[in-house]
Amino acid sequence: MQDAVALNPAEQPPSNRLRNRFRAAFTQENVATMAVALVIAVAVILPLIALVISSFLVLDDQGWDTTWGFDNYVTLFTDRVIPKAFLNTLLISSGSTVVATVLGVALAWINARTNCPGRDYLEPYNLIPFFLSPFVGAIAWHNLAAPQTGLLNIWARDYLGIEGHLLNVDTLWGVVWVTGIFFTPLVYLFVVGSLRRMDPSLEDSARTTGAGLFRTTMTVTLPLVMPGILSGAIIVFVTSAGEFGVPFKLSAPYGWETLTTQIFSKAVGDDANHYLGATMSMALGVITVFLIWIQQRYIAPRSFTTVTGKGFRPNVLDLGGWKWVAFGFNISYIMIAVVLPILCLIIVSLHPVWTAKIEFSQMSFINYEKTLFFWQPNSIKAATNGIFNSFILAFIGASLAMVLAIVISYMIHRTKNFGARLLDFLSVVPIGFPGIVLAMGVLVTYIQTPIYATLWILLLGYVTRFFPYGQRNVSSIMLAISEELDQSSRMAGASWFTTLRRITIPLLKPGIFAGWVLMFIIFMRELSISIILYTTGTETLSVGVYYLSNFENEPLTAALSMAQTVVLLACVYLFRKVAGKEALTA
Amino acid sequence: MDHQNPNSDANYLEVSNLIKWFGDDRAVDNVSFSIPKGHFLTLLGPSGCGKTTTLMSIAGLHSIDSGTIRVGDTIYTSPNQGIFLAPEKRDIGMVFQSYAIWPHMSVAQNVAYPLEIQKLPQDEIDDRVADVLALVGLTDMADKMATQLSGGQQQRASLARAIVGQPKLLLFDEPLSNLDLKLREQMRVELKRIQNDVGITSIYVTHDQAEALVMSDDIIVMSKGKIEQMGGPLEIYSTPVNRYVSNFIGVANLLEGKVAETGSDGSGQIEVDVPGDPIKIGCRFADNFSAGDEVVLSVRPENIHPLREKNGEDVLEGTITSATFLGNYVDCRVDWRGFEWKVISHPRMMLKEGESIYLKFDTSQILAVKP
Repeated sequence: MQDAVALNPAEQPPSNRLRNRFRAAFTQENVATMAVALVIAVAVILPLIALVISSFLVLDDQGWDTTWGFDNYVTLFTDRVIPKAFLNTLLISSGSTVVATVLGVALAWINARTNCPGRDYLEPYNLIPFFLSPFVGAIAWHNLAAPQTGLLNIWARDYLGIEGHLLNVDTLWGVVWVTGIFFTPLVYLFVVGSLRRMDPSLEDSARTTGAGLFRTTMTVTLPLVMPGILSGAIIVFVTSAGEFGVPFKLSAPYGWETLTTQIFSKAVGDDANHYLGATMSMALGVITVFLIWIQQRYIAPRSFTTVTGKGFRPNVLDLGGWKWVAFGFNISYIMIAVVLPILCLIIVSLHPVWTAKIEFSQMSFINYEKTLFFWQPNSIKAATNGIFNSFILAFIGASLAMVLAIVISYMIHRTKNFGARLLDFLSVVPIGFPGIVLAMGVLVTYIQTPIYATLWILLLGYVTRFFPYGQRNVSSIMLAISEELDQSSRMAGASWFTTLRRITIPLLKPGIFAGWVLMFIIFMRELSISIILYTTGTETLSVGVYYLSNFENEPLTAALSMAQTVVLLACVYLFRKVAGKEALTA
Repeated sequence: MDHQNPNSDANYLEVSNLIKWFGDDRAVDNVSFSIPKGHFLTLLGPSGCGKTTTLMSIAGLHSIDSGTIRVGDTIYTSPNQGIFLAPEKRDIGMVFQSYAIWPHMSVAQNVAYPLEIQKLPQDEIDDRVADVLALVGLTDMADKMATQLSGGQQQRASLARAIVGQPKLLLFDEPLSNLDLKLREQMRVELKRIQNDVGITSIYVTHDQAEALVMSDDIIVMSKGKIEQMGGPLEIYSTPVNRYVSNFIGVANLLEGKVAETGSDGSGQIEVDVPGDPIKIGCRFADNFSAGDEVVLSVRPENIHPLREKNGEDVLEGTITSATFLGNYVDCRVDWRGFEWKVISHPRMMLKEGESIYLKFDTSQILAVKP
């Protein structure tokens, strides 16, 4: 054995001992942990520090020089727009939380606890909005229910004889509506798993005491899954507060600014002021971090207590005739959140000129040619660049994020040193910060480095913000795999790295691939980081949609939106293939 | 520590002054032992006694806080010298409690893995895998996926994987605890046979005293991170050093008392702590006791003879409080001055509850141990 060491410790020179100790500390494992922990720490912490520092820098009137001070924080309260934007954000978040929670809990209950017809077929469709872009949803709903040009309003005028309009989504309530229906699956996912695994005898015993179906559901079933409901509600609140695309499309143009649209205009708008943008990001970040901290610290740990290990008994409530009501309710949700918006986008995208009137004779694919056929001279560069860039970013980003996810999960669950605890902490932090806030931090950190105005800065933003989701995917599987499987490989003579390559990763493969597809989906539709960090040439798919919506027309916007939606739906199909039915809900 | 002749086979594996902290607890508290090459050592004790931690320290799957672990002429771990050999460089085979058979590989691939790591030529790998699978009786299962095996077969596959590389040391972490009783008894014998065949120095961790007695050359009884006693199975069973060991191994009647007289030949008289007239019982001493020392008398049930008639003076008279028929013997509880003796009797004696009985002792089999 080459590593045999001279035996008598007294005879060893001190330098030798030091060298030994040094060698003992620098195992493959320790070096890798510390290296990854350092990279993550820099990636996560640096933008946040930069954000804090920038928020105390005050830009003078000429926009040339800065001084230190609290003026930016004062501005948050004295500005003409910002306090209202703040209030609007709160209203939107609260409203969409109510909508998503009511819909999500109801749908989860119907799917997990009742004999609603066809529920096995409904579930995947209930989850589709989770994978699509809410920004595209807003575009679709704008075309469905804008007061003058919305298809639904036109039909209402034509067929129901209504004056004016039936619906108006170009308002705060429209934002609440679209974010609410698009984030419904978040609540659904938090609730449906524990509902499904809940011990049915808990409900049965309530029924035997004479409590009716309604009373049992309200007093036993829902309280038991309350931690899941609360977790889902908090996540929806935080995600809505950080949502940029929907208020940007539906409310900002009509006078209702939000924090995110204000941060955006401070980052890239005519009145750009990165320091004020950083301050607003701080304000938004503090709120979301606090809520996520509550959720992670106090609510998430409780959600396991309602679940018993057994109880996979397919025992569901018989709703009688009401089951058709439940079925109708679920179908309505799918129509409103998936089918109607997509149909509307298809219709609009096929018209070279959209006059809010369906004209079959005019239909053509010209909008798709302009947005997709990059080789044609009349193609729009922002759109075609976006497609290229998004595929590159999604592919590299998902791969990079999953490599990090694997290494971090391994560190957290298999090694117990300091780096591991640091990593555990660092991989929760990004979840607390909306993409636009983190992007603001990345922007002020790297604006004077060569990576600014390249795809690299987008990649950095994407991976920093979203690697925790991949890490969770891998961690949940790693927890289910006995540590002894790794240890026995070490005992068989394999190094740490060989063990990772030949044992750990092959065992994690399904989780890794599912996580990869999930990352790919998230990156394909990413808007709020991209919108802050892109420049001409580094547009992404969603930025392309933004560009078309802002500077071109609705049919072109609809065409690129459809292209993105088709890619995302294909990914969803792939995700379900590889991850299996229970991947998200378990 | 003996560094005079570290290469000698007599102390092939040496663990000295091993200390491992878990938070504020000393999981292993200054443990030292050594065993000769080829021996089968069992670390025996209840859960939390430090036996698994000791094993993991030898394997290198735990770091230790102080002490030295040496095998042959290689120091595996010695924090004081800054030595920590990575687990994969220790040349150890290990059988885990969960078997840890990799589910994404076939049985043959599992077993071939250590040889592939050693980068042996493929035909040699094939030969050695075939040999070792034959040794454990899994030849027919070579191409099955690991998940298709039964518990006992996974156990054999795990053993095959551990021994195929002919390691310096073989470690077992409660490998039989997940098997049912019948299979466990069969596997004990099988494991011992295979270990004998390959002759690899082995350390076996278990909480099952029967397993320890059947398989081991040496047994170390541990409690609360410390070694209580080390010795051969017979020695541990017949001359436990203290109350803990005699209670943990087999069944013992434990009677508290004080040393009244000491003889010259390691024997003496104990005045036992029971109500009524003072009474002295003659016994062997497990240690150098002197008059007045607090001791515990340890008497195995099989060394007590229940008699219907009084036969000589050295008998105790008691009343049977329960007699439970267990097939090959009757388990009796006998009340004597408030002390309950555990006694076994032949079924043909037909002892009944409520009967008076005389208990006769073989004084050479009564042992005074430390409390």
